[in-house]
Amino acid sequence: MTLETTFVPLTVEGLPALAAAKKADGWRFVQILAVNTEEGIDLIYSFMKGNLLENCEIKAVQKDAVVPSITDQFLEAFVFENETHDLFGVNIQGIAIDFGGNFYALAQKEPMTIISPEQKAAREKARKVAEAKAAKEKATKAAAANAAYEAGHPTPKEPGEPIVPTGDDDAELKLAGADPEKVARARAAIAAKAKKAAEAEKDAALKEKLAGMDPEKAAKVRAAMEAKAAREAAAAQKEGE
Amino acid sequence: MGSFKLGKMTFKSLFGKPETIQYPAEQKTPPPGLKGHVVNDVESCILCGICMKRCPCAAIEVDKPARTWSINRFRCVQCGTCVRECPKQCLTMEPTYTPPATEKRMDSYEVPERAKPAKKAASAEERIEWERAAQGLEER
Amino acid sequence: MGKATVIPFGPQHPVLPEPLHLDLVVEDETVIEAVPQIGFIHRGLEKLVETRDYNQFIYVAERICGICAFGHSMGYAETVERLMGVEIPERAEYLRVIWHELSRVHSHVLWMGLAADAFGYESLFMHCWRLRERVLDIFEKTTGGRVIFSVVKVGGVVRDIDDAMFAEIKRVLEGIKDDYRQLCNAFLKDSSVKNRTVGVGYISHEDALAMSMVGPFARASNVNNDARCLGNGGYGKLADFQPVMDAQGDCYARVKVRALEVLQSIDIIEEMIAKIPAGDIAVDVKGAPAAGAEEANVVEQPRGECYYYARGNGSKYLERMRMRTPTSQNLAGMATALAGCDLADVNMIVLTIDPCISCTER
Repeated sequence: MTLETTFVPLTVEGLPALAAAKKADGWRFVQILAVNTEEGIDLIYSFMKGNLLENCEIKAVQKDAVVPSITDQFLEAFVFENETHDLFGVNIQGIAIDFGGNFYALAQKEPMTIISPEQKAAREKARKVAEAKAAKEKATKAAAANAAYEAGHPTPKEPGEPIVPTGDDDAELKLAGADPEKVARARAAIAAKAKKAAEAEKDAALKEKLAGMDPEKAAKVRAAMEAKAAREAAAAQKEGE
Repeated sequence: MGSFKLGKMTFKSLFGKPETIQYPAEQKTPPPGLKGHVVNDVESCILCGICMKRCPCAAIEVDKPARTWSINRFRCVQCGTCVRECPKQCLTMEPTYTPPATEKRMDSYEVPERAKPAKKAASAEERIEWERAAQGLEER
Repeated sequence: MGKATVIPFGPQHPVLPEPLHLDLVVEDETVIEAVPQIGFIHRGLEKLVETRDYNQFIYVAERICGICAFGHSMGYAETVERLMGVEIPERAEYLRVIWHELSRVHSHVLWMGLAADAFGYESLFMHCWRLRERVLDIFEKTTGGRVIFSVVKVGGVVRDIDDAMFAEIKRVLEGIKDDYRQLCNAFLKDSSVKNRTVGVGYISHEDALAMSMVGPFARASNVNNDARCLGNGGYGKLADFQPVMDAQGDCYARVKVRALEVLQSIDIIEEMIAKIPAGDIAVDVKGAPAAGAEEANVVEQPRGECYYYARGNGSKYLERMRMRTPTSQNLAGMATALAGCDLADVNMIVLTIDPCISCTER
């Protein structure tokens, strides 16, 4: 016997019927939880029977929406319903033992709905990564379209848009999401890598490579190289002292 | 039914050796793996700052320009993350607890400037370190 | 019949280790109704998941409860591993079970001490805690911590136990077993204990089912909600696991279930030590949970089943982490058990659900 978890969508209207059905079917109430999202508050009701753990999700409950209580079926849910009301501000009506917002002694109302700066940063980072991904996809699509165009026309135009090595691309993607300080440091590290490669292939080869790269990227690598050179110079100076 | 079921044990503890020790006068020897407090071997520390980043309770502060490595003993929860993550293995967990104090304080270590042997070797070493640091950052 | 009076019980009360408030509606000496209230020590640990990445949060998860610290870190790690699809090495699973069962031994012995204290048997209380100390010493030697171990990480465990240490654990457990049998004798046969517990705070099998009770509280009413039966992690490797059950449903049955579970846990530890395979103790976990990915998990803590839920948001930080602890599930059952009891038995009944309020509020 192993634990099987399922996530099932649910609506506010369907909640009382679901609770009654679960009760009649001999399911055991497990918990209610809330997740604060940008669209609203997600409520998850969990029930268990044997090794099945079913989580019924109500997506994006709005501030003014009224959620019926399930304490008429499962009395033990009063703890969670009061908690959800106090911490998330979900308006749950008809709780068997209703503390009216005094279940938790809190310094601040609905503390779990406040978006912390860290959470905001995390969300923005996720969005940036998603955007970067979309942009990359778009670029590859454009390149493909370009190739198709070139194949379709006997006299191709100037060889623009070269193929960018995927490894570096990934690093850039990650950079897009990181914070500026990290970006600077990671960029310096990448520059160090780039320089190592350059030493092996000699400067001329590097220049050729840079010329072959797209201008923005080349500029970035160059800037990073300069930074590295400056850093080394500074280190040398320090040593001199 | 019956009472005094604990008789044997009670007599044993009446006449046997006591389980407890006379604490301040007598002290238990800590086992070798005890998580007591973090110590930095400043000789091999490179001030990379990974410990500062990984610390769950922001107890460690690494000041690169001033070349100091400091730890707030009363913020540290002895989880051992810094010890595991250190690329130079210069952090260790010593099996003695931080003594009680009347105020919270920072323990600061001066990290001495290390003499770089030769220009080439130093830069190679540095590069490896940077790569490692960059990898760590990328993983995050 | 007298007039109904409301007696406030707690949040500060000698019998309560943690702040739980009860409004007892009494008529003469009989409790008619009890309304539990918590909320005095809400610490907002679930909110902290936004400022700690998923590797760092394990140390917060541990601090939800001082007694089931290991269980919480294990439950959290298992949930994140399920969320990210990480398979941990078998040796790590076994080690987790060993430490988890040791936690159960120390938690139950601690609880038995508190119960003895509640019905006024001071020497029994001290003997219980004396035995518990030996388990704590094992923890100190194997993990480096006495209460908070910080030994679990996402992807496995941090420390290994070598064969010499296993031999010592076995030796210490044998010693505990001997002393513990005498304690059990006192708990289960002493008339002064029986007078306080037999027939007190009765909960029928049907009520226990209807209230979705969990843990030893439910098992004393013959309801099997033991999450260890699901065979998560190392528990799947046990040859035979039958939870300790009792049909009496009163305080005595709850004492008995816990008393016997300690011996069962010691057997599990010995079986695990005999079977533990060699190998790695951790795998490297890279990347981050996908945005919108969700996972739920249950773990049997000493006090009962604990539910975990995690949702990722594509970054190293989880969007939401939720722990539902056994006490919040048992509060309704406790109120039912209190209805109709004597005022003097209230403390005994409250203790037999083994309330852990700071876990409940997190």
